Amino acid sequence: MLTNSEVVSILSHFPKFEDTWLGLSYAPHMPKHMVKETREVIAIARKFNEEVANPLALKLDRLTHKDPDYLPWELVEEANRWGLYTMWIPKIFGGHGYNMPSMSCFSEEVASVCVGIMNVIGVHYLAVAGLTASGNIRLAKKILREVVEGEKSGKPCVLALATTEPGAGTDVEEVDLVDKGKVTCQAKRVKGGFIVNGTKVFISMGHVSSWTVLYAYEDTKHPSETTIGFIVKTGTKGFSFGSHENKMGQRVCPASVLIFEDCFIPDDQVLFSSALVKKFTNKPARDISQRYCDYVVSATRPGVCAFGIGVARGAFETALHYASTTSVNGRLLINQEWAQCMLAEMHKNVILGRLAYTEANNANSHRGLYRLLQSKPVYYYLKAMPRFWFDKVISPMLNWEITARVMGKLLFDMPKPEDQRCCSGWASVAKITGTDLGVKNCQMAIEIMGQKGLRQDAGVEKMLRDIKLLQIYEGTNQLNRLNAFKCLIAPQVPQAQVFEE
Amino acid sequence: MLTSYSNDLKPITDLAQSFAARELVGKTGKHDRYPFGEFYDHVLDKAHEVGFLGAILPESLGGIGGGIAALCEILLHICEADASPGGIIFTQAFSQKIMLAAGAQDLAQSIFPGASSAKDLLVAFPAYTNPAQTDSLPLAQSAGSDYNLTGRLELLVLGNLARQAIIPARSGIGPSYSFFLVNLDDQNVEKSEPVFTLGLHACPAVDVTFSGVRARLIGEENTGRHYFEEISPEMNAAAAAMNAGILRGAFNEALAYSQKREQGGRPIVNWSEIGMMLASISVKADVAAMCVHQSCLELEQKKSGYEPRVSAAALHIAELSCDATSDGIQILGGYGYMKDYAQEKRYRDARMVQALLGTVPFKKLDIIRQATNTNPNNV
Ligand SMILES: Cc1cc2nc3c(=O)[nH]c(=O)nc-3n(C[C@H](O)[C@H](O)[C@H](O)COP(=O)(O)OP(=O)(O)OC[C@H]3O[C@@H](n4cnc5c(N)ncnc54)[C@H](O)[C@@H]3O)c2cc1C
Repeated sequence: MLTNSEVVSILSHFPKFEDTWLGLSYAPHMPKHMVKETREVIAIARKFNEEVANPLALKLDRLTHKDPDYLPWELVEEANRWGLYTMWIPKIFGGHGYNMPSMSCFSEEVASVCVGIMNVIGVHYLAVAGLTASGNIRLAKKILREVVEGEKSGKPCVLALATTEPGAGTDVEEVDLVDKGKVTCQAKRVKGGFIVNGTKVFISMGHVSSWTVLYAYEDTKHPSETTIGFIVKTGTKGFSFGSHENKMGQRVCPASVLIFEDCFIPDDQVLFSSALVKKFTNKPARDISQRYCDYVVSATRPGVCAFGIGVARGAFETALHYASTTSVNGRLLINQEWAQCMLAEMHKNVILGRLAYTEANNANSHRGLYRLLQSKPVYYYLKAMPRFWFDKVISPMLNWEITARVMGKLLFDMPKPEDQRCCSGWASVAKITGTDLGVKNCQMAIEIMGQKGLRQDAGVEKMLRDIKLLQIYEGTNQLNRLNAFKCLIAPQVPQAQVFEE
Repeated sequence: MLTSYSNDLKPITDLAQSFAARELVGKTGKHDRYPFGEFYDHVLDKAHEVGFLGAILPESLGGIGGGIAALCEILLHICEADASPGGIIFTQAFSQKIMLAAGAQDLAQSIFPGASSAKDLLVAFPAYTNPAQTDSLPLAQSAGSDYNLTGRLELLVLGNLARQAIIPARSGIGPSYSFFLVNLDDQNVEKSEPVFTLGLHACPAVDVTFSGVRARLIGEENTGRHYFEEISPEMNAAAAAMNAGILRGAFNEALAYSQKREQGGRPIVNWSEIGMMLASISVKADVAAMCVHQSCLELEQKKSGYEPRVSAAALHIAELSCDATSDGIQILGGYGYMKDYAQEKRYRDARMVQALLGTVPFKKLDIIRQATNTNPNNV
């Protein structure tokens, strides 16, 4: 009916086929084994819920209200015993190497019981994304191998990521804003490394982490071009913790103040800088920062969607149980039509959100950060080869200059801007969707459950407190809407400008 | 805020505002620590001293005889700063109204005029319950001139503070119920620790179990529903006033913060998306205040069909408040999520206030029941 070139031409109009039906485009490229692997991951999550998260969720929330100084050391040890801090570390770094999208499914499951506990696990992978997306394979290997060692020795090595500053939250999430903002965390070049001064706030898991991925700026007037990523060990001279915050929800996961006072960080702990990346590409420094930022948020925001949808599901399941066991006027709520419709609506929200994170992950798998690891040859190669092969043969190769060069090219030079926008835009769409629907479902649950829902021991009030955070971190939902506009809509409208009003 | 309603309210407004400024502003975080921190007895005593615990009680019973508009005005201003003491005032008014609606002047006389302290005056009440929609109420058995109550009741508000409580219970089969006055110090009353709830921490509630406790009937037997429905419009207006206050507080704090906080090189209020969010909270706060004002007029004039209209106002304002308090946090970003600011508490309290007088869906269905005069079992 239409020629091939007609189809191509018609589908290149907004919304373009490639940017829209992502799952359909990715499906033929997906290694089939990922399904089996994902099933296993979900089963592990359910077992973890039954044995760990369920018994602890409300108990720990209560405990943190009694003792606001509580830190989740035992929980971290338990998660470490379960292997949760290495599950999604690629095999080349010694981890279990489960496929990255499966982490969203895991997150949904655990968050359906307690998103605070999921955060205690998940924030570590925000830092893992910061490490691996930097392209600095040598340093990523060094740190991630320590995480693996931590699992073996039973002494957890957990990572945090620090970008937010007291005066710059939204601004440090967006390269277009950061130069207008007031960043203060400064890295001054000295012989052999940098001296860092400044404060970071709201850093999840700060107090309990062993290493922090830290962002500072050589020139605080031009941060977009002078961003430097470091990896800094807890206990380093000049690096200390302030208080941790007294939050409304997700109280089991601390949010810490990090203080850097003349903290010396040697050159070999510089994870990312435009100077490092410049060796592999001649793109402007600002674009390099934007690409790095996009890689990290493209990987982590679909995860936040999964967190939100987990909570949405928890609220749905709690309301469902209540409606199935409570009678009003002699009739079970579950048999009253209004309740059936509300429950169906809540269930629909869960399904919608799940689709959103799945599509955002499809974008990463097909056109973004996961593309290489999830291409069939690489995926099956990594599956097939025994661990000693990676430990003894591949691992030393990660220190080679040529490896750094290849990674640098692959991550920062070759990818197309439209792929970057697609992944970042979809990640924002997913993040907004999952977290907004999460809030909606919690509100509906609390309305259905009336006074029962108000009690902490009934579970849903905690969900309502917990979920609100998800609309704020990883970029507020306002910032994510603007990013979705910038990435998915503005490119079609030549006169559109973002952050310029 | 309701001063245009009547100049008589001016002294009440001033009193409520100065009370909020002196006792509440800047201290909400500390007060909210309860039950894990101290209870603010001194605030309760002050509320008693200035007469807030008897706002709607006639002067002959030791109250200030202020009427519903006065109660709403007090609640608006108190809840703007902190809704927890508002919850106490609300619950106390609820108990008093039930007694008055049931014509139990003698009981009221025995409690209120002589009370020397706030705690003597308090009468606990399950303010989140509509007893008609609760299938499992305690049972009442006749025992001479009094009754014996057996069973369990959840979230008895002020149950750990008050010496007495009004308890709905059933004495026969079928949905009818009656209200009873119970001495909470009785050895046959077992009270839980204060229940850890979403919000209104400093307006505590407990679960109670009665095992044959002596109880005095309030008004007529099996007439509880009638009394409850008679006073519901006024209590709905009071709940609406609480959420209107919360809304006003959320707006004020968000506006002030957005003028101070800079991102992207300018105060965030100058980003039009933040302007839009603020406008939306402002619209909600203004509409809420107008609804409360109109509800008070409706309650005074009692024109046909006023009851569901006031209920509609309460439902609508609660919805607005639940939405707006979420945006109230959002405008403060990460800081809004922390207990150092009052926004997170407003987000929690708004939902507590929404649940006063029963479950939202049933309150909605009740409006249609009233409009069609149908049996509740059919709706
Ligand atoms: C519990 C918690 C854990 C966190 N964990 C981490 C972590 O592990 N690591 C880390 O680095 N950070 C973390 N964060 C920080 C988080 O990412 C920031 O809070 C978030 O980016 C918002 O920044 P802010 O709080 O400074 O709000 P602000 O940036 O001050 O925003 C305030 C309001 O202004 C709006 N706004 C700002 N700029 C604009 C604009 N240009 N246009 C329109 N609206 C605008 C925002 O949407 C928001 O509504 C965490 C935060 C919390 C609360």
